[in-house]
Amino acid sequence: MKKIILGCFFLAALQSCSAVKEYEKVNINDPDMDLSLRSTERFETNFQAYREAAAGANGGKTGGGCGCN
Amino acid sequence: MKKLGFILFFSCFITGVAQEIPEEEGFKIRVLESTEVEFLTSLYTQDGDNAAVSGGIGTEELTDFTPTLVVSIPLNADDVLTIDAGISAYTSASSSNVDPWDNGGPADPFTASSGASSSDIWSNFNGTYSHSSNDRNRIWTAKLSVSSEYDYFSIGFGGGYAWLFNDKNTEIGITANVYLDTWNAIYPYELRFFEANGPGLSSSFFSNITGNGTYAPSFSEFESENRNSYAVGLNFSQILSKDLQGSLSVDLVQQEGLLSTPFQRVYFADRPDFYVENFQLADDVEQLPETRSKIAVGGRLNYFLNSIFVVRTYYRFYTDDWGISSNTAKVELPIKIFQKFTIYPSYRYYDQTAADHFAAYEEHVSTEEFYTSDYDLSKFKANQYGLGILYTDIFTNFHLWHFGLKTADLKYNYYKRDSGLTAHLLSGGVKFIME
Repeated sequence: MKKIILGCFFLAALQSCSAVKEYEKVNINDPDMDLSLRSTERFETNFQAYREAAAGANGGKTGGGCGCN
Repeated sequence: MKKLGFILFFSCFITGVAQEIPEEEGFKIRVLESTEVEFLTSLYTQDGDNAAVSGGIGTEELTDFTPTLVVSIPLNADDVLTIDAGISAYTSASSSNVDPWDNGGPADPFTASSGASSSDIWSNFNGTYSHSSNDRNRIWTAKLSVSSEYDYFSIGFGGGYAWLFNDKNTEIGITANVYLDTWNAIYPYELRFFEANGPGLSSSFFSNITGNGTYAPSFSEFESENRNSYAVGLNFSQILSKDLQGSLSVDLVQQEGLLSTPFQRVYFADRPDFYVENFQLADDVEQLPETRSKIAVGGRLNYFLNSIFVVRTYYRFYTDDWGISSNTAKVELPIKIFQKFTIYPSYRYYDQTAADHFAAYEEHVSTEEFYTSDYDLSKFKANQYGLGILYTDIFTNFHLWHFGLKTADLKYNYYKRDSGLTAHLLSGGVKFIME
């Protein structure tokens, strides 16, 4: 039952947020709000792909293309 | 109850799609107004005492310099071609010890050698073509990549599709990439004498060997030198309010082929130790399974606190069938200190469990099927502290020839593992818009 309530809450939240119109996206369009990595973050992702076993789900390398994991 | 859940989900989904408003034909804003040129570079240094090349002991000192150029060219109103090319020039004390006896001085795992393997250049080229639909709600991408270094070559290709709906509040995307990699296997120097048709112990190299008994490594060359990686990524992002947006990503990766690194030594506890000078001779190179399945699930949540502060957060859970699972959490706090300047301190936490086949120096035994002493596959925790400064001028008032400066970014990161490895990363970039 808890899961259903949580699910309904999440979906309701999705619906409520669907009302954000283009003219209301001033804050959302701020460059610091971007959901993708900053350009220079590629170098962090790259060394982490070598020095750590985990990779992926961050917009960077997931494996392949280098002698790393 | 399950049915109720499904009905709720689909009613919300359909309502979201129904809110899509078709844009009028005629005037189309270009996806990219003009050519953008971005210069990126980084300087990375690290040090530690657990080099995989020398079986889990020895210097890990490394310096890496990576100049990169990214050019995005609008081909027409809908299509953009992005060329991304760069090099990574590095010097590595540990990889210099693939052959530690070419230094003139006594070979030692804690001292760098000066031979051919002490430095290399990794070159990389990526081409990405993207096409956007007239209403800008659908984006197709195709990607080709090539990278090369002395002992490694890779060609990769892939594509992606993104669909925006719900007044561009919601985005769903899928990407697929294939990398076809080939090793040019380089083995530790002392083991090359035991390759097929090699002279073995009769080589003069072993005239100064010390140890009890007869040196007899378990080594044989790898039969296949190919490594293929197949990756599929799913992405869902949602604007949750006027100040809050988030995303969820899932990456599935399947790798097969030579997943061991051919020049990483392993020393067995049940074999006698042999030395030439101060350097212990390998019992074998690491042996890892020929397949690996990985899954990573990540989420981002960014909140616009006010006109000065933004909070950017990230979390990822990762697991694979080598027995590794990990958690990554990152928080960044951009602070707008002036109209065009932002400073952004950041903190990142990372932990991982050890791979099933990892053991430290001299802890493996020769009867095992798989073994490695690569500390990148060990259990550890790491902390990373960063501070960056970003200059942004959307009007590009500062000009160099025909280019206007849009952004300039500089960031320093300090990385420390609880196993002792430390690293420093200084990265920067400038982006220009062609007038």
